[in-house]
Amino acid sequence: MRSLISLFRTLIVRPLKRDRLRTALTVASMALGVAVVIAIDLAGDAAVGSFQSSLTTIVGKTDLEIVANGGVDEQWVGRLAQLPLNAHFAPGLERQAEIQGSGFVTVYAADFVAEAAGNISSSAAGPADWEHAVVVSETVANRLHIQKDSAITVQGHAFRVLDIAPAKTEFVALDIAAAQRLFNDYKKLDRIDVFLTAHEDITRAERSIRAALPAGFEVNRPGTRSDENQRMLRAFRWNLRVLSYISLVVGAFLIYNTISVSVVRRRPEIGILRALGVSRFGVFWLFLAEALLIGIAGSALGIAVGRLMASGIVVLIAQTINSLYTSSRPSEIALTGESVAVAMTAGTLVAFLSAAGPARAAMRVAPTEAMGRGSRETAVRLQYRRNLILAAALAIAGFAASTLKPVDGKPIFGYAAALLAIGAGALAAPALVLGVVRSLRPLLRKAFGAEGLLAGRSLTASLGRTSVVVAALATAIAMMASVGIMVGSFRETVMVWLDTQLRADIYIRAAGPAGAGQYPALPPQTSCLIAAVKGVAAVDTFHGFEFRYQGQRAILGAGNMEIVKQYGGLRFLSGDSNTILSSLPNHDRAIVSEPFANKHDVRVGEQLALNLGERQVHVTVAGIYYEYSSERGYVVLDRSTLLKYLPGQPATNIAVYVEPGAESGAVQRRIQNATAGLPILVAPNQLLRREGVRIFDRTFAITYALEGVAIIVAMLGAANALLALVLDRRRELGLLRYLGAASLQLRRMILVEAALLGLLSNILGLVLGLALSFLLIFVINKQSFGWTIQFHPPYGLLAAALSLVWFVTVLAGIYPARVAARLNPIEVIHEE
Amino acid sequence: MPPPSPRLKLCSVFRTYRINDQKLNALQDISLSAEAGTVTALLGRSGCGKSTLLNLAGAMDFPSSGEVLIEGRSTSSLNEADLTALRRTRIGFVFQFFQLLPTLTVLENVELPLLLSGAANAAQTARDRLQWVGLEDRATSLPHQLSGGQMQRVAVARALVQSPDILIADEPTGNLDTGSGDLVLNLISRSAREFGAAVLMATHSAEAASIAQVRVRMRDGRIEDIERSRN
Repeated sequence: MRSLISLFRTLIVRPLKRDRLRTALTVASMALGVAVVIAIDLAGDAAVGSFQSSLTTIVGKTDLEIVANGGVDEQWVGRLAQLPLNAHFAPGLERQAEIQGSGFVTVYAADFVAEAAGNISSSAAGPADWEHAVVVSETVANRLHIQKDSAITVQGHAFRVLDIAPAKTEFVALDIAAAQRLFNDYKKLDRIDVFLTAHEDITRAERSIRAALPAGFEVNRPGTRSDENQRMLRAFRWNLRVLSYISLVVGAFLIYNTISVSVVRRRPEIGILRALGVSRFGVFWLFLAEALLIGIAGSALGIAVGRLMASGIVVLIAQTINSLYTSSRPSEIALTGESVAVAMTAGTLVAFLSAAGPARAAMRVAPTEAMGRGSRETAVRLQYRRNLILAAALAIAGFAASTLKPVDGKPIFGYAAALLAIGAGALAAPALVLGVVRSLRPLLRKAFGAEGLLAGRSLTASLGRTSVVVAALATAIAMMASVGIMVGSFRETVMVWLDTQLRADIYIRAAGPAGAGQYPALPPQTSCLIAAVKGVAAVDTFHGFEFRYQGQRAILGAGNMEIVKQYGGLRFLSGDSNTILSSLPNHDRAIVSEPFANKHDVRVGEQLALNLGERQVHVTVAGIYYEYSSERGYVVLDRSTLLKYLPGQPATNIAVYVEPGAESGAVQRRIQNATAGLPILVAPNQLLRREGVRIFDRTFAITYALEGVAIIVAMLGAANALLALVLDRRRELGLLRYLGAASLQLRRMILVEAALLGLLSNILGLVLGLALSFLLIFVINKQSFGWTIQFHPPYGLLAAALSLVWFVTVLAGIYPARVAARLNPIEVIHEE
Repeated sequence: MPPPSPRLKLCSVFRTYRINDQKLNALQDISLSAEAGTVTALLGRSGCGKSTLLNLAGAMDFPSSGEVLIEGRSTSSLNEADLTALRRTRIGFVFQFFQLLPTLTVLENVELPLLLSGAANAAQTARDRLQWVGLEDRATSLPHQLSGGQMQRVAVARALVQSPDILIADEPTGNLDTGSGDLVLNLISRSAREFGAAVLMATHSAEAASIAQVRVRMRDGRIEDIERSRN
């Protein structure tokens, strides 16, 4: 063992120290790969980490939670209290409210009067004027510089700060009665919280409560909402995680390359060691240990960098979650032992696996052997046909995998198909390098003379190494291109959809922060006031709210289908739009969005069992329409149907169509005048479109950032590989100086090689990228989110990105070219 | 009639290296000249300074003091571009281990110096040289498909492709069997006669030295003896 450690020090560590730059490049590639993985993990956790209701910090932990789609009638609090249970039932309400001078903050309403009476222990409880008192979280207090007994204005009403809750999230808590008054929202509660005494059996209590409640109500254990949120975000986080692993995959190619170079360079030493009695496994572990050393160093550095990156991206992820899924407040980034262990394991494992092949090759070196690069490269050349056949087999397997259904809502086979495609691309790389470089030879010689001739020959001579670099760079390019094509296609699809969907001239919603799942109620008189405004042709009043369907959350909406039919532009997957929409009013029929249909495997003509208030209603699916604003999906009824089951359901949005010839700006101003003083937002059509595009672009900003990192890793790899090529060909480069090559010519030769590497990588990357974009659009996205995306590659952007990558690859060749030009020819030619 | 001016002249050349603060005198007070059409053999044990002298003569290195004159111009006075041009057009090298580029064909290896200098008719000139060394039928072969002797003949063809004034040969037969060595020596001898090159050859072999008109014996970086013959 001691001898192996000593060998490791001399044979592995010493060269690593000698080639500091190459070692640094490899470790940096690894570190970036690991950094992205841990950054996405940490930021993702932080962005979704605050779903647990902050109210528990004030009122304690609830034992059960009673909820109903469309809200729970408050009379149920009194009714449930009659049950022979050792339990306390408390009304719960959650809204967004404007704090004067500070924007919108979540407001929790709880039964503080009951708590103060001593039923439930509470830090905030005490004799107080609850009508005018609030408890604020520590973060709100710090931000607003307020203390106990300070005055605070919530939604235009004055309150006194009774207490400050030690919580890390921003909220204001007030008594339920005060909240109902504040939001003009009597009778309906978001939920009823159930607190059991220590002697009460939770199963018995749950059974009794269920028996007492109507069919449409749900009784949930605490954490259900948090679990639902986590489940809802699963596909989003999964896809983000997979994207974050791209850099690590690219890094794996580079580790493979580094260890391969290490083995090739030290073949004579390996031969001597074997002759001196070092076992095969001793050699194998020596080279694996080199990879592990790089893996551990890269992972450790990556964790530190990743922690920093996480701070930068947590806001982006949280904004996306807020826009597309549900309201979330980013919590603090916590670098846990678990995340460190995952990152270390991922980095080290990738290093280990990618080095296993070259280490095995080292193990096979015969004791008498002291071959140079040539024999291995010849072997690679001989294998390229076999590799091409293998590549075809992998491509076919990938295609087959792409046709399989998702597993538990996850596109496992889609990802498998993507991995198989990457594998196929990597195996096809040697054939591509040989084919393209051979066909370019005359052109290279003509254009660049001796430098062109030598560059082409050098790349095919080092086929094994060239192929690995091309595969690594091509993988990064392919991911960039495929995500670019997917996002570009998605964007174009959304733009077309916005054009057809957003037909109204003016849109109105209640004031408050915009976010997925947030449908604050409009003041009841809004609709009538607007309908009376001169120039308004039609008013489509929409009632939206979050609801639960089969354990998942979606959005239930209701609008005036006659107006939608007349003015709107809903596009259905099949069927005639007018016929479908005409069938909805006064019938238990609904239309559902495509993501909802895909998520719940719903087809036209099937029945949905919806819990509406206290009742369970069966509605027939009349049509499935294209929709891109919510991954959770919509179920839309006609207003008449919804109000039949939920009579008091408030309107949440209004779409206004102006009369032909009327100027929409003028109508908007008149609407604003007519509704002056009401807490509503009036926005013209264009603003909504702009906002839609802005949210879309923000959502995919992180995707582009991840692609960028993968490209940087690949660039480091290209520089590393070119440097290795230069160092390995020192003798040849020295000889060229003897034969009269100017140092400028050597530089040019290396730069031509870099340019060729970039070209080959672009060709393979583009082909692979196209294949991956099909997988992303038609398999992974469809299975994850349920959207149909039309194929619209952004040609201009792709061309620009590929040119940039090619240019940067050439830049990556500058340093190796400088090294080549500075070699001392006398030294290198006499090394033999 | 005045004697022809030498293609290569070394005047009181010293070459000193510093290794770990230790001064090593690789060459001391070397004065030597090589005329067109003659073969000069450098003889001596390993480490006596033969290779250092060849590097100076090939404009690959510079004397610590003294002058190396090629065609009357001191190499120390030339800039990088001039030196490169000089090596390209005036000097040919033959090495002990052939030093052919394994990725290029035989013809391309021979053609390479011409391609580097951007000369016209490179392929034809290279073919002529290959014919001259008797390997025109191996033009498309790769170096590893040739025998050691054939590789060295290709190296000679490459060294002569620019019709250089000076041919530097470092142990050209050191890695060859006798038969192949004789063939290569014959080519080197002919190159002096037919191309008028001044050949400077380092060798351990008496057979190789026998083709030389001038035999310079070296020891510890100094010239011990110069012997001239009429062959």
